[in-house]
Amino acid sequence: MEQPIVKLQNVTKKIGSRTIIDQLTLDLPLGEVFGFLGPNGSGKTTTIRMMVGLMSLTAGEILIGGYSITKEYEKAIRHVGAIVENPEMYKYLSGYDNLVHYARMIPGITEHRILEVVKLVGLEGRIRDKVKTYSLGMRQRLGVAQAILHKPRLLILDEPTNGLDPAGIRELRDYLRLLSKEEGLAVFVSSHLLSEMELMCDRVAIIQNGKLIDVRTIKGDETRADISHMLIEVDRQQGAIEALLAAGLNAAAEGNHSISIEANREGTAFINATLVAAAIKVYSIRAQVKSLEDQFLEVTGGERIG
Amino acid sequence: MVDFLQLVRNENMKIYRRPRTWVMTLIMVTLVLFISIMWRIFSKGETSMWDVISMESFVLFLLVTIFTVVVSAGSVAEEFTSGTIKLLLIRPWSRSKVLLSKYISNALYAALLTIILFASSLLLNWLLFGLNPSDAAKQSTVPLPGEMAPFAYLLRFYGMKFITLMVTMTLAFMLSTIFRSSGLAIGLSLFLLLGVSSFVPLLAMLDYEWINYLLFMHLDLTKYIGSTVLEDGSGSSLSFSLSIIGAYYVLFIALTWYVFNKRDISA
Ligand SMILES: Nc1ncnc2c1ncn2[C@@H]1O[C@H](COP(=O)(O)OP(=O)(O)OP(=O)(O)O)[C@@H](O)[C@H]1O
Ligand SMILES: [Mg+2]
Repeated sequence: MEQPIVKLQNVTKKIGSRTIIDQLTLDLPLGEVFGFLGPNGSGKTTTIRMMVGLMSLTAGEILIGGYSITKEYEKAIRHVGAIVENPEMYKYLSGYDNLVHYARMIPGITEHRILEVVKLVGLEGRIRDKVKTYSLGMRQRLGVAQAILHKPRLLILDEPTNGLDPAGIRELRDYLRLLSKEEGLAVFVSSHLLSEMELMCDRVAIIQNGKLIDVRTIKGDETRADISHMLIEVDRQQGAIEALLAAGLNAAAEGNHSISIEANREGTAFINATLVAAAIKVYSIRAQVKSLEDQFLEVTGGERIG
Repeated sequence: MVDFLQLVRNENMKIYRRPRTWVMTLIMVTLVLFISIMWRIFSKGETSMWDVISMESFVLFLLVTIFTVVVSAGSVAEEFTSGTIKLLLIRPWSRSKVLLSKYISNALYAALLTIILFASSLLLNWLLFGLNPSDAAKQSTVPLPGEMAPFAYLLRFYGMKFITLMVTMTLAFMLSTIFRSSGLAIGLSLFLLLGVSSFVPLLAMLDYEWINYLLFMHLDLTKYIGSTVLEDGSGSSLSFSLSIIGAYYVLFIALTWYVFNKRDISA
């Protein structure tokens, strides 16, 4: 396997006597969208600041493309594009001039490339306007534009969906997946929108109080065929439970008009057929898929900030 | 090298695309115009153009200093207050080079203002007073040191003033980098330079050795035009003043770069 584009080794950050990031170790391969999940104040932004060299490390090492971010900064950062917290731009310049500004800092970015990126983030109509007239979502799009301008191999986005409308989120999600799968770059996203992460990421790291507590792979759609908790709304609750018992299945009453039962895909069809055969009206069948959100709250214990 | 010039271009863009830069420049040129026209009206053209130019240069250089301090104090601090510093620094350029590009663009702005003041007062007063002077106005009435030609004197005056301006600008730049607040940097540097400098004559009377090593005692270099050693008994000379200024300059630059390189960016 190719060596990871980013290696975080025992990264630690202390400010004063507080340990904000504690012994974080993480590898990111190319071609993957990697989610970074954690409650407010858990240290996501701090980690990102260290990854792009805005903050020093108290201990540990961060390697990007094999170069140390502290010792060989200019080489390490060359292939990184990033948004750190809100993408603040020069408000008195137009969106286009902002991009020109960043383009000048890296050799080889043509005007054609700038326009291409503008089109990609859907800002063609307003790019010549001053940034101070932009909405939050438009600034976020401009932020994405400056991050991908130089075709980085690693894209680091701190809460990129913040302020985007549903269409914008969807476009970003599709675009990030495209970048990682077709152009093979690594994408590192932090977000509060847990359900978003589920749709966007291949793997998710969960961080709490500066400690990495879990890294898990997000499974694709096929796993939905796994056994899950089904909630079935019927006209006669007791009748339904009895009918299923006769078929050898254990269902439980749920509320006044529903029953709950564990079943996989085929099982659900069988249950439905059984109920219909027993002349019970089935109004709805819903799978209670355990979302990342549930998993997240489970691992972090739904804990309060601080 | 060419790549580095692009950074300076960026910083220039950030200075000149702001209306405030042009407003300040315009204020200065308008004042030159205003003073000259008023003078012309009230003196009925009986004054030498060199007198008007010297006076205007002397008064309005203060404005050049203030405007330079405003721009220079803003250049680092405003990147912090607006949060743009984050996106600026995550490029393949060391912090030192980014800072240098800012410093250069500020120095260029200071030079531009100085040249505009010099050129506009020269041109305007030549038009108003110098084209067909009356006999009384042919000679400058202000005695110039060492029987110097007026133009030669002016060049020296601007040269000396520009050296001081660079130190002032560097001080504002340093305060801006340390405090990350342009208001504080502007206030503090103007207070130090204009406020404290007005106590210079008072301080000079005190009989302490260390007073000779204060920056403020040496910022007025124009007194050395004509004679590089003062005859007022203080014994200070141009070379001594320049060495003191140079020492402070190096200190300011070192401190600015050190702080900027070390700092965690959490704006
Ligand atoms: N400059 C600083 N000085 C002291 N403490 C800081 C500083 N910056 C961040 N912290 C602390 O570090 C912790 C992590 O902050 P960080 O901004 O990384 O959290 P986050 O995961 O990005 O949170 P959010 O989801 O709210 O964006 C917080 O407890 C915060 O108070
Ligand atoms: Mg954050």
